[in-house]
Amino acid sequence: MRVALAALLAFVVVGAAAAQSHTTRATVYAAASLTDAFPAIAPQAHFSFAGSNALAAQIRQGAPADVFASANMKIPLGLYGDGFCSKPAVFTRNALVLIVPRKNRKHIDSVGDLKRRGIKLVIAAKGVPVGDYTLQVLEKLKLTSVLKNVVSRETDVREVLAKVALDEADAGFVYATDAKTVPKKVRVISIPPRGRANVEYGICVVLASHDKPAGQAFVRRILGPAGQRILRSYGFLPRKP
Amino acid sequence: MATLSADFELPLRSFDLRLALDVERTVALVGPSGAGKSSVLRAIAGLVRPSGRIALDGEVWLDESTFRLPEDRRVGLVFQEYALFPHLTVERNVAFGGKARVGELLERFRISHLAHARPGELSGGERQRVALARALARDPGVLLLDEPLSALDAHTKDTVRLELQELLQSFDLPTLIVTHDYEDAAALAATVGVLVEGELRQLGSPADLVSQPSDPFVASFTGANLLRGHVTSVEDGLTGVRLDTGEIVYSTDPALGEVGVVVYPWDVSIGRVHADDSALNLIHGEIGSLSRVGNRVRVRVGPVTAEVTTASAERLELAQGGVAVASFKATGTRLVPLAG
Amino acid sequence: MRRVLLGTAVAAAATAALAFLVLPVAAIFLRVPPGKLIHQLSSPLVTDALIVSIKTSAIAQALILLFGTPLAYVLATRRFRGHSLLVTLVELPLVLPPAVAGLGLLALFGRSGLLGTSIPFTQTAVVLAVAFVASPLYIRQAIAAFEAVDPNLVAASRTLGAGPVRTFFRVVLPLSRGGLAAGEALAFARGLGEFGATIMFAGSLQGVTQTLPLAVYQAFAINLDTALAIGALLVVVSAVLLVVLKLVLSWQPSRRTSSFLFARST
Repeated sequence: MRVALAALLAFVVVGAAAAQSHTTRATVYAAASLTDAFPAIAPQAHFSFAGSNALAAQIRQGAPADVFASANMKIPLGLYGDGFCSKPAVFTRNALVLIVPRKNRKHIDSVGDLKRRGIKLVIAAKGVPVGDYTLQVLEKLKLTSVLKNVVSRETDVREVLAKVALDEADAGFVYATDAKTVPKKVRVISIPPRGRANVEYGICVVLASHDKPAGQAFVRRILGPAGQRILRSYGFLPRKP
Repeated sequence: MATLSADFELPLRSFDLRLALDVERTVALVGPSGAGKSSVLRAIAGLVRPSGRIALDGEVWLDESTFRLPEDRRVGLVFQEYALFPHLTVERNVAFGGKARVGELLERFRISHLAHARPGELSGGERQRVALARALARDPGVLLLDEPLSALDAHTKDTVRLELQELLQSFDLPTLIVTHDYEDAAALAATVGVLVEGELRQLGSPADLVSQPSDPFVASFTGANLLRGHVTSVEDGLTGVRLDTGEIVYSTDPALGEVGVVVYPWDVSIGRVHADDSALNLIHGEIGSLSRVGNRVRVRVGPVTAEVTTASAERLELAQGGVAVASFKATGTRLVPLAG
Repeated sequence: MRRVLLGTAVAAAATAALAFLVLPVAAIFLRVPPGKLIHQLSSPLVTDALIVSIKTSAIAQALILLFGTPLAYVLATRRFRGHSLLVTLVELPLVLPPAVAGLGLLALFGRSGLLGTSIPFTQTAVVLAVAFVASPLYIRQAIAAFEAVDPNLVAASRTLGAGPVRTFFRVVLPLSRGGLAAGEALAFARGLGEFGATIMFAGSLQGVTQTLPLAVYQAFAINLDTALAIGALLVVVSAVLLVVLKLVLSWQPSRRTSSFLFARST
């Protein structure tokens, strides 16, 4: 009996000590496009990468995240307005690009070429930031008719990337940073300046978090010079244009 | 009367089955389990393919260039556990082989009242009748019975054996029965073959097998004498039976009508002199044959075969053609009901 | 005293298990009021997904039955070299993570795959994905059901004049019906809920390839009520399936006369 009590006590002490370690142990829910950059900035944090909207829905249901990083500001502002997280800050920016498989069987050179019959276009679903940006860009370019060629609406940007990289889709809209991860497999076609969308990534601390200090430390690190430098090395654009 | 001739070789797990046999009326193959008996029936039915020749009169079912599938052979095979289709009624089971004679067969086997019952609801004897009716509905050219009495309890066995005898006599089909029970074989068939490890050791009438076994195995396997006769009296706990050969013997078993008196050779004693002992059955007769089996001798006296030691045989100076008295106790016999 | 304690422990464990299985399902229906539920069900997202699911499921299951049954019968009744290997291969999709299954289908049927077809992103792709992940469930059950049929019954049928095909339909099939139905129910349920392979191989497009499970995932990120509604729909469909299966099974004739041990269903 006494041995059991002693063991229990030791357990509690060790547990409490473990809870003290900071940045390193934060649980971060982040947009899929941050899959490579974030772990490079804070290797010991726990990450969950998916479409920003799916992650936000999970946080609303009480998911145990300490930090939320989205590929837009709209979603974190929504969470902030509903009292789920702190006021979001822009921590980086990105550019939307059109990618085609390296082989480019359909000889696509511009967004306009996507109008052609028989093109298999893959984009993200509505509500997923990159999907919304895609629609924005197409509206700006007055090329929404290309949507007739959409064969699939994916749940996050990396799925779009994969389908194009595997040469199963003829074209897809992803972020420039995603295209950089598989340079040999895809070709990048830039969006003409008049069509470009303003892609701002927002980050905030989840209010229901059990380890706010860890979350806050993580956010500081992302916003700090080290984090920003690493983000730039992955192709992300500076915070302030 | 059609004849089924079979001459084939079939490799089995631990030995090769080699059989050359002509079946005109009823032949029973006996042997210990694993001797290959069931395989014989399966080969004739076409469920396995041996090398050799199997033909029913002019129809060749198997030879070098032919192999008729089971569904094209006119066989009626009754399985050991009857293999009745559990999802069909008795009527549908019988009709499976052929719809033409269903009514007639149900009548004949006295199962008309069970037409709409399922096999699961029937007794052992009833199931056997359904299995037979079903096999016959096919209008087969040869009847194959696999251990027809083994699935029955001792009580039902006697009645069913009787019925089966009558039925077999009324059919005009070459019939091959396999069983591990020598008494069943002797009661049902006029010709019995002993099958051991795939080989036919001896083929002959039941009496010959008992009196002149070709080897000790056959001797121990074929076991008892089966003396046919009919009951003439029943009193004081003794049943009197007049054998077909004329003698009268007594048994402590109760029975009526046509019976087979079962007595084991080693329960029969031989003497030279007419002994006078009312407790014993006595059969006087000529010594029909003497055969040596290991260190014993089988002596045939009239219809009954006794087994004595070589020493006794020599002491009694038994010789073929001589006269002797075979004796056995009334308590040492069993009576088995037989068809007329 | 000990026995009372044991009895209580068993009862508690049983209750916990039952609650664990029943409550999540009940919770779906309790979260959203029925009126709202039904209203959600009339939205195009849901009706489109329902149609896609039903269509692709029906075709996939038909294919599974058509091709899986003969395969299962051969595997159940014949022994040959490589038999166990073949059975293992057939069961493989069962242990594959669905995403890997999707990748495999892509690698085979994809434009850049082995066969170079234009099947990805079509409804045909959904059918193939569903059939691929669900067929082992049916085939395994079918093999067991066929193996449980007493070989003597098959032999008897042959000696009574029925060839292999007639024997299959008149003897084997009626006797294995229960096991086959159980296998098909499993396959249908698995197919209906298929997600990973579908999204990889067929993608997700409303009205074309977006099945109910894919719609749930999308709806969850947009409108929880819609997601719940679809979830409730899937629960109802599954429940109906179970009931139908029970009816088919209770129709099965009981017991066999042979002393063959493996008494199936009933």
